[in-house]
Amino acid sequence: MSKFTHSDLIVLLTAIGVILILSRIISEMGRRFKFPIVMGEIVVGILLGPTIVGTISPEFFERVFPKDGTVSIAFDGLVNLSVVLLLFVAGLEVQLPLVLKQGKAAIYTSFLGMIIPFATGFVAAYYFPMLLGQNESENVFFAIFIGTALSVSALPVIARILMDMNLFKSSIGMLIIASAMFSDLIAWLIFSFLLAMNSASQSSMGVGYTILYIIGFGLFMLTIGKKIIDRSLPWIQTKLSWPGGVLSISIGICLLCAAFTEKINIHAILGAFIAGIAFGDSAHLHEKAREIIHQFITNFFAPLFFVSIGLRVNFFENFDVMIVGIVLILAYFGKVLGATFGAYLGGLKINNAIAVGFGLNARGAMEIILGTLALSAGLISSKVFVALVVMALVTSLTSAPLIRKFYAEPKK
Amino acid sequence: MEFDLHKLTKRPSFPFETIAVGLSFSPRMDLLLTEAKKIADACSSKLVLIHVGEKTKEKQKSLEDILFRNNIEERKVKIIWSEGDVVDMILKLCKLNIVDLLILGALERENIIKFYLGSIARTISRKAKCSVLLLTQAPSVQKLKQRMIVNAGADHPKTVPSINTALYFAKHMGVKEVSMVHEVHSPALAMAMAESSSAPEVTKIKKEYTEEESTKLHSLIAKCDTGNIKINEKVIKGKPGYAIRQYAETKKADLLVINSPDMHLTFFDRIFTHDIEYILADLPCNLLIVHSRV
Repeated sequence: MSKFTHSDLIVLLTAIGVILILSRIISEMGRRFKFPIVMGEIVVGILLGPTIVGTISPEFFERVFPKDGTVSIAFDGLVNLSVVLLLFVAGLEVQLPLVLKQGKAAIYTSFLGMIIPFATGFVAAYYFPMLLGQNESENVFFAIFIGTALSVSALPVIARILMDMNLFKSSIGMLIIASAMFSDLIAWLIFSFLLAMNSASQSSMGVGYTILYIIGFGLFMLTIGKKIIDRSLPWIQTKLSWPGGVLSISIGICLLCAAFTEKINIHAILGAFIAGIAFGDSAHLHEKAREIIHQFITNFFAPLFFVSIGLRVNFFENFDVMIVGIVLILAYFGKVLGATFGAYLGGLKINNAIAVGFGLNARGAMEIILGTLALSAGLISSKVFVALVVMALVTSLTSAPLIRKFYAEPKK
Repeated sequence: MEFDLHKLTKRPSFPFETIAVGLSFSPRMDLLLTEAKKIADACSSKLVLIHVGEKTKEKQKSLEDILFRNNIEERKVKIIWSEGDVVDMILKLCKLNIVDLLILGALERENIIKFYLGSIARTISRKAKCSVLLLTQAPSVQKLKQRMIVNAGADHPKTVPSINTALYFAKHMGVKEVSMVHEVHSPALAMAMAESSSAPEVTKIKKEYTEEESTKLHSLIAKCDTGNIKINEKVIKGKPGYAIRQYAETKKADLLVINSPDMHLTFFDRIFTHDIEYILADLPCNLLIVHSRV
């Protein structure tokens, strides 16, 4: 077995350093134009990856970001760790009581904002896969994935958009946030189930056992596990070093849960996501601790993950106008229609219901993570993946102006 | 038993014309009645005593003794003996007698199984269509006069009636100072700020949010009749229910006043704890749940 050498370490550290600094510079430039931070990171990936640098100077690209060997293995490990931690912070913000509290408006918006895009995506991918560049017809896994990909929302981007628009604490803002939390939860559960089914079909473990494990793990973590975490947090936050104690224990538990779900053939992301929900739901978790966890993961691991996407795929070669167009049409049609209809049934006026629809339409980072995992699992082609990335960015960029266009401020 | 629900519809949450006390014949019943008598006297209320269970000679004798010790004339109170499901019967009798305030004794913390299954006092608190006062501490009216905290959720339609009820109660009990506390919870704010915010931006956003909420609280209190009572205003951050519970405990409050729940609470609300469930899980002090029929 080859060892990780002195020169390998230099290459790896250089690559990480370049990624972090460049993505920060580009993201800060984008911030001036209110672009989501993930956009800057994707652009850096495209710049450093096979699309630009890899085409201009293949030797340099291969030297800093080698495809094979120990550096590549080490970098892949870091990227996998990043996605696990990104799902942990996504879970940290899922607060089910908030959905219950928002009442029927949130329930209708979440459900219809999930079901209609899911059905739209599923039907299109199942019956007309050629439109998405797939040759194999009636592929259930592919259809479920497209349905899930179209129904997910991106809470970080949505929260940021609402904050910039000063709608964060308004009733419409809370409705969008609660519905996005619920959509995220369901989408990640479906996706984990899909990945588990995909791997179960290739392994000896039966589908029944896989479902049983998912339900068992989820129930345990969200009841007993959550109570244990809730009871331990005050002690962790007062008796251990601050904020080191809560940071290492929370991330440690996240990684153990991720390892457990990976071990039982469910993807590691589900363990991390549910661990995040269990931590995030605790009223004992200090706001400061939550902020520190977010800052640490969003500013170190997120750039590594999102830049790595551009390093893997050639965006120019895999950019297919028809697939991108179809994904965009399906994305806007399903999500905006579903969430708008749900919010309208929930009692909102039509203008505000449309604003909710466009608010939930922002896919951002969550869509990209979902797409990357599906690409790695062989569920989708690079062309579909590129279309999903473009869709995630376009929906995120258009969300704020479209909310602004339709939202009617309540009369004072 | 037939009752006219129209009498309850839109009935204001105060004055407390009729106060009911749930009797369980526990060792603390004597103290509970002492307290109820003092509150009823202060608010000039009619007193109704309810026991759901078998009417035995021992219980009757025990009640007579307690009434005598507390200087309560039997002819001036209505005593109801009834049988059946304790929670359902008490709720029904409260409606039938147009009860404005139901006083119950409660442990500060129930054992975990009893809490999840639902103890009598807590189940009634979740379901009652009248205001409920849960007395936890070794009762003493003197204590109620000292540190009173009102949960003044600025964005809720029930808050103004609840504050007015709390102020009515405070005036009659001789409370001189009341703290009005507004909880602020911003889920996903940490995530939104981590997305891309500079340090001055984070400080500015947090400051603006706090100022905005303080203004809301202030204008809310301005709508209420505070009389001569000194009001302290405070904005706290954290999950609703949990934050005020912690605040009441830290401030060693004697009485915490909150709105009645907005929805039917079930077992799942105890699993995914929120709002009033944080308070009921571990009562920080005596608790007045105001049921405003808005």
